[in-house]
Amino acid sequence: MIKVTNLTKEFVQGQERTQVLKGIDLHIEEGEFVAIMGPSGSGKSTLLQLLGGLDVPTKGDIQVDQHFLNKMKERERTIFRRQKLGFIFQNYQLLPTLTVEENIAFPLHADGKLTNEKNKWIHELIASVGLEGLNRKRANLLSGGQQQRVAIARALVNHPAVLLADEPTGNLDRAKAEEILVLLSTFHRRKKQTIVMVTHDIFAAGFADHLILFKDGVIDQVISRKEEDYAKYLANFMA
Amino acid sequence: MSVKYGILTSLFRQRHHGYELKLEVDSLLGIKGKINPGQVYTTLDRLMRDQLVSSPGWDDQERKLFQLEARGKDELEKWLLEPVPYYTAKEDFFFKWNCARKIHFAQEKQMLEQQKEMIIKEVMELTKLKTELLLQGEENKYLLITGTLLHLEADLNWINQVENRSR
Ligand SMILES: Nc1ncnc2c1ncn2[C@@H]1O[C@H](COP(=O)(O)OP(=O)(O)OP(=O)(O)O)[C@@H](O)[C@H]1O
Ligand SMILES: [Mg+2]
Repeated sequence: MIKVTNLTKEFVQGQERTQVLKGIDLHIEEGEFVAIMGPSGSGKSTLLQLLGGLDVPTKGDIQVDQHFLNKMKERERTIFRRQKLGFIFQNYQLLPTLTVEENIAFPLHADGKLTNEKNKWIHELIASVGLEGLNRKRANLLSGGQQQRVAIARALVNHPAVLLADEPTGNLDRAKAEEILVLLSTFHRRKKQTIVMVTHDIFAAGFADHLILFKDGVIDQVISRKEEDYAKYLANFMA
Repeated sequence: MSVKYGILTSLFRQRHHGYELKLEVDSLLGIKGKINPGQVYTTLDRLMRDQLVSSPGWDDQERKLFQLEARGKDELEKWLLEPVPYYTAKEDFFFKWNCARKIHFAQEKQMLEQQKEMIIKEVMELTKLKTELLLQGEENKYLLITGTLLHLEADLNWINQVENRSR
């Protein structure tokens, strides 16, 4: 469960202060798949960074599973992030010289040695993202779609409460993007994985249960597909 | 057209009676293609007349059975190997838009906006549906819907292009 209240983020550069998030309230239930859409520069990635504890808000509260991210000390937040949150990015962000399984195991090392049980889990994950046989292949030798699969497995290795995805298909062609979205969707449906995904692409957003439409640092509208007029609203929003 | 080839396809592997054929053709046409039984029976009459299909008799519940003849099989395979032309005006919206341009229709913009809204709605609903089908193991249905979605993507891009050029 994610609860955000009156979230504000300002960046200060020299004399200039820019308010990027202007008081956001947001509630995401456990097991939901939510897509965030909005124009470039509207603050989507900034919001995701804050939800993921990669940055701290100027004002406001962020609660993940009852824990206030904004009240944690930096070290506490880092540990929380590693144990409770999974991140995937448009550019995959793997460690290029490590193998598939080393990349996936990476978040586990901080908690000590890899047990047999953990190794088994890593192999299960490799299979479930469709990378059987590539365990020992170096990340920089993989295709984009394969790299993103590794990134998904890495993000899920700690059974995160939330998987945060910032334009996970932005660098992929339609067919490869489809495979990634199907994968996310499968984890969502089968394992009740909570997912928050930023996307520009209505064809990706269609996989989500709810859409959050973002404009200029505020939430313009939260769209549930059960509403009558949602398509009209979406069409206007994208125009 | 599609009813004819739907029937030939359904009879390819096994015999069927008329009502089964209607259900088979429905499912081949996909979620939206609900045809009426009359269409199936008139098409069957023509296929019998042209000797593409014949009747080997009745089943144990006195329903007339149909089977595929060698000519029917040839006809089906010939049709399957004919590429489908894209550059026709048969698709409803393109035809409609073409008509609108022809008469300098004042509400073209509204037409495009409404079509866009319709496409977006279809995209959202079909994406949800295809995910469900995939999880149920309905691979063929899933693939067909991804095909429809790619067409919708092209249509959406095209409408955006028309709108950009009309600005
Ligand atoms: N570290 C930073 N320092 C200063 N300004 C920043 C910083 N990070 C982001 N911004 C500014 O905040 C605004 C929102 O950026 P953000 O990356 O959140 O947008 P976005 O909605 O993700 O856009 P896009 O769709 O292009 O990814 C932009 O104007 C950006 O320049
Ligand atoms: Mg961004």
